[in-house]
Amino acid sequence: MTIEQTRPDTRRFTGKAMPRKEDARLLKAQGEFGDDTPVANLAYMAFVRSPYAHARIVDIDVSAAEKVDGYLGCLLPDEVAELTDPYAELQGPPGDAEVDRCLAAGGKVRFSGEPVVAVAATSREAARDAAAAVVVDYEPLPHVVDTRKAVEPDAPLVHDQVGCNVAFESTFDWGDIDFALENADHVIEVDELHFHRFSSTPLECTAITAEYDAGTDTFTFTGGFATPQLATLNLAGALRHPTNKLRVLSKDIGGSFGIKLNTHIPATAAALLARKLGRPIRWTETRTESHQMGGHGNERWFRNVKMALQSDGTVLGLSYEALDDVGAYTRYEPLGAVIWTQVANACYQLKHLRVHYRSVYTNKCPTHPNRGYSRTQHLWLVERMMDIAAHKLGFDPVEFRMKNYIQPDQYPYTTVNGCVYDSGNLPESLRKALELIDYEEARQLQRAAAGTGKRIGIGIGSTLDSGTNNFGQARLLNPHLPFGGNSEAALVRLGIDGAVYATTGAVAFGQGHETTISQVVADELGVSYDDVHVQRGSDSGLSAQMGLSGSYASQFAVTGIGAMLNATRKLAAEIKQVAAAVLGVKPEEIELADGKARVVGDAEKALPLSDVAGIVHFSPASLPREVAENVGLVGRAVYSAPFDLPDLERKYGNLTLTYATQIHACVVEIDEETGQTTLLRYAMVDDCGTPINPMVIEGQVHGATAHGISAALFEDMAYDENGQLRAGNFYDYHAATAFDLPSFRYANVVSPSPFTPIGAKGMGEGGGAPLQAISAAIQDAVGDSAAVLDSFNPPERVLRLLRGLNAEKVKVIR
Amino acid sequence: MLLPPLRYLRPETPEDAVAMLSDVDGSVVLAGGQTLMNMLKLDLAHPDALVDVHRIDALRGIEHDADGTLVVGAATTYAELARSPEVRRSHPAVAEMAAGLVDRQVRNRGTIGGNCCLNDPTSNYPPLMVALDARFRVLGRDGERRLPASEFFRGTLATAVGRGELLTTIEIPPMPQGSGVAHEHLQVGADSWAIARAVVRLDVADGVVADARAVLGAVYGSPLRLPEVERRLIGQRATPDLAEAADALQDVDVQTADDVHCSAAYRREMAEVQLRRAIRAAVERSVQ
Amino acid sequence: MTTNDTREITVTVDGRRETGVVSDRTLLVHWLRDALDKRGPKIGCDTGNCGACTVRWNGTLVKSCMVLAVQVDGDEIETAASLAEEDGTLSRLQQCFADHHALQCGYCTSGMLMTAADLLASGEEITEHSVRRALKGHVCRCTGYHNIVKAIRAAAGQEVPPPHGSEPREAEVR
Repeated sequence: MTIEQTRPDTRRFTGKAMPRKEDARLLKAQGEFGDDTPVANLAYMAFVRSPYAHARIVDIDVSAAEKVDGYLGCLLPDEVAELTDPYAELQGPPGDAEVDRCLAAGGKVRFSGEPVVAVAATSREAARDAAAAVVVDYEPLPHVVDTRKAVEPDAPLVHDQVGCNVAFESTFDWGDIDFALENADHVIEVDELHFHRFSSTPLECTAITAEYDAGTDTFTFTGGFATPQLATLNLAGALRHPTNKLRVLSKDIGGSFGIKLNTHIPATAAALLARKLGRPIRWTETRTESHQMGGHGNERWFRNVKMALQSDGTVLGLSYEALDDVGAYTRYEPLGAVIWTQVANACYQLKHLRVHYRSVYTNKCPTHPNRGYSRTQHLWLVERMMDIAAHKLGFDPVEFRMKNYIQPDQYPYTTVNGCVYDSGNLPESLRKALELIDYEEARQLQRAAAGTGKRIGIGIGSTLDSGTNNFGQARLLNPHLPFGGNSEAALVRLGIDGAVYATTGAVAFGQGHETTISQVVADELGVSYDDVHVQRGSDSGLSAQMGLSGSYASQFAVTGIGAMLNATRKLAAEIKQVAAAVLGVKPEEIELADGKARVVGDAEKALPLSDVAGIVHFSPASLPREVAENVGLVGRAVYSAPFDLPDLERKYGNLTLTYATQIHACVVEIDEETGQTTLLRYAMVDDCGTPINPMVIEGQVHGATAHGISAALFEDMAYDENGQLRAGNFYDYHAATAFDLPSFRYANVVSPSPFTPIGAKGMGEGGGAPLQAISAAIQDAVGDSAAVLDSFNPPERVLRLLRGLNAEKVKVIR
Repeated sequence: MLLPPLRYLRPETPEDAVAMLSDVDGSVVLAGGQTLMNMLKLDLAHPDALVDVHRIDALRGIEHDADGTLVVGAATTYAELARSPEVRRSHPAVAEMAAGLVDRQVRNRGTIGGNCCLNDPTSNYPPLMVALDARFRVLGRDGERRLPASEFFRGTLATAVGRGELLTTIEIPPMPQGSGVAHEHLQVGADSWAIARAVVRLDVADGVVADARAVLGAVYGSPLRLPEVERRLIGQRATPDLAEAADALQDVDVQTADDVHCSAAYRREMAEVQLRRAIRAAVERSVQ
Repeated sequence: MTTNDTREITVTVDGRRETGVVSDRTLLVHWLRDALDKRGPKIGCDTGNCGACTVRWNGTLVKSCMVLAVQVDGDEIETAASLAEEDGTLSRLQQCFADHHALQCGYCTSGMLMTAADLLASGEEITEHSVRRALKGHVCRCTGYHNIVKAIRAAAGQEVPPPHGSEPREAEVR
């Protein structure tokens, strides 16, 4: 598989750290986020939320709310059941019996914080007061918060009609792990490892404005929708409304990281109220609500983990059982059950892998695809096992990884399950990372620390950021799902003034799409960077979107940019056609440069693009008929990633197009008396192929690093035994501040992807390398007498590690 | 993010404030508001009226009495304490604590009186006030009461300030010659919530501890003074070995609970660690 | 229901005298945003942690989510909308944020700028540590803070490395 790529010598802006086009408005406080937009006659929505993890709703009394000044109306679960259909479920039986609606379905609440009633009022305060005045009578039911208990036979059922708490179950078995485990020189077993629950908590909580226009029977939604067309599909299904009468808009979005992929759920309630009350309705989520109901990342238990190795340090493969906690409803789930298989091999030459995977309901907030969705968990497990194996068997942690990494000359590398890793140079990346932390000197520091009350640990994280996913993998979940491949669209036009206007189907929430699009379009059309104008935000009503449009799965640099290049080439062809006609040459004799269409080899014969625009827009009669009839100065194109449908029987096939890599290395200091971990040095080396804007890439790596560090040390969406979220706001959920984090040491390696238009790879999610590197560094600091088996390591756990925690859970079988 | 319905009242003088607090049912003092506002947003407090005292000049300001007692208006902000050269000179521990509190914005609004009146177990100032033998002047309808710190703090989120009363002034006696005060805490992250906190004051004369205060914060509902630890400190030579006095903590019945950040057992252990560190640091400072 | 006392306030916001009627319980941040369409102060939490709502009140840096609108009657408020030059040119600090890619989604940016401006004006020593300490009352979930710290140090006139891959570029924009 090879494709035509842009020539590096035509790139004036692509590949450079161009200043961002988004910045001026954001710096001047002129951005427009979800709650910013002024709307006439706006009413506000507030939810009454369940205080119980699991309860039957006995009675709802809204009479006191009706007396609140400014109260407009409310929405009750029965009304929702009557007016809407449940959201479609991805899984087959028995999980497809789950009923999920925008308000508690089936007379029950299933997690603490679940919306039960929506009220609307003329002001934010009145909506709050009215919600506070609603009285709901609950009959508490037994609940389950621990995934391991949820799969036991006598566990309370989250969804009665499903009949069990397993939403999806499958065994993935590639190679012959039984043979490997029987015959390998060494086998390491670990009883249980835990990847904890956390969330990227975008700083802008969800804000949605729903408007209903009775004249055209159209709903318009403005706010943070990361996948606008999928949102439209979900809303249309729930509201029983045609998709072409639903419009989803976004302007500026204050972060998503995957968390905002499910905003159609509260949007449904807002839509119903907007139609019922005949007023625009805004819902502005609070931080507390966002933590309770806005979506968490997947918590996962890995049990009965076995790794097979040879005495020369070659890793053969591993097997484990996964219990993935999806919370009370499968909202993007159980896609996570197959998404992790994009990175089945992690960074290593594994030959055998077996995973028995269950997606399990609990009475907790539903999971959403959080940055590094479902891959981060598996990648952490594999890297953790590599690290444990190195410690247990006495391999040098660096050499051991170097040896088992997929080597530069092995690309394209086909994994155990048929995924094709496109390119990379992991050994070089690790070398650079170690250089950045001054590895040898750090080892001396470590030795010198003995007896000082401090321990030093050095850790490595090796991870992948799989990008541009093949939605065909959804069929591994349910063969009846009508998904396959992936595509994105773009629109580029030459305006009446000769400037270039571009619209992407993707949705930006901080990644700088306006900037990178301007870079590649300017290069393709030979115009200046400032002459390209990219539309802010997204609009499902424009033909710039495809069904799978949006920002997720680290793909914009491939799909979004690919579509933009294709569209720009169409526009370029039209420009050349016009210029050729005017200049009296053939279109293939025209080149685009310096803002002009000019004759190759005769720079004097040129037509500025403003003239091209002027003629087409205002004087088509000056053109030959066949040109005037065919040229609209609009390029609309899609980029469709080259995918086949996977083999469902073998669960085999290429599931993502690109594999950016990140290698992290860090040095931590641990206080032996308190267990507190301090980061002394932190380095990351990324390789995302040919960079479009190195500055933006570095920024994405920084951000993913901060998320990972903060998750590893501070962030835990844990629930207590009563099913109450313990970190319901930023008091208790400590998102790292500038004071908590070190200065980063960054470098990159460039291994162009052979499969993408520019050689770029999608990136941004990061792959959770800090969780791996910090786990490994703590392990290194505490030594062999304990085992780091949890991705979350607050001081108390580290202190217990210093005293030998988990030592017995790791066994060297031989 | 929204407050419940309430009335806003702005008295001009401490006496006006006391009158409002007595007359208006469900009224509470609004000083800096850096905790109260958040409790209101989170539905953790339900007052009917806020009596805003932050503009009452009589409640602000930093002075020293003739005997060197530091007299601080209850509505004095952390920022004012932190930048006062006089406080830094006379009571450096008070200024240092103010300079490190929460963050830049909060220091501009939050007040020492508010911190003390809240008496959240994680609050910074209550244990320091106990260690420095501070006195609290509380104004009511019937005049002013003056309470030692030991009587002022009454348990989690509770103080001796009654309904219709207002904390007006905090008096902190002059630091004895040779005295060293240290504050040590273990926090979430680099500088967030306190998991454990200890304040130790050692008055050292001729190399011997003449008097001592050892106080824990964060673990108990109120700052907890540790008389047994103090007994083991007094009369001893001021050397780092004094940290062993913290062993006495093992005999103290520690009332604390598991929370989102750690278990009760860990918090107890960390209290002892912080206490040891505070003793050592206080020795170092006293000798200076 | 309970009282919904309202009163009229007059406040100078970003140099302009504004009059409004607010309820006693209205937070300053809501009044600035809803009544005046001031988009600098943002709401990112409900506990005073995130700092996105930071403004200056009579020259003092505060979080406008912990101040009532009625409390600022007669006073002066500055939001991030006041930071650029009158002709719309970015201030030096803002330009440094752009040059060093100190913002991604931009949601925390106004608050960060307010604090950075306050720090720079304070005369305090500017170091990596002091900048990070000054930003303690802010949460950014995009940048990892590294570039924000760099931008502020650059605005203070310190040498900081340019963004990755940013060799000569000004000449190429046009």
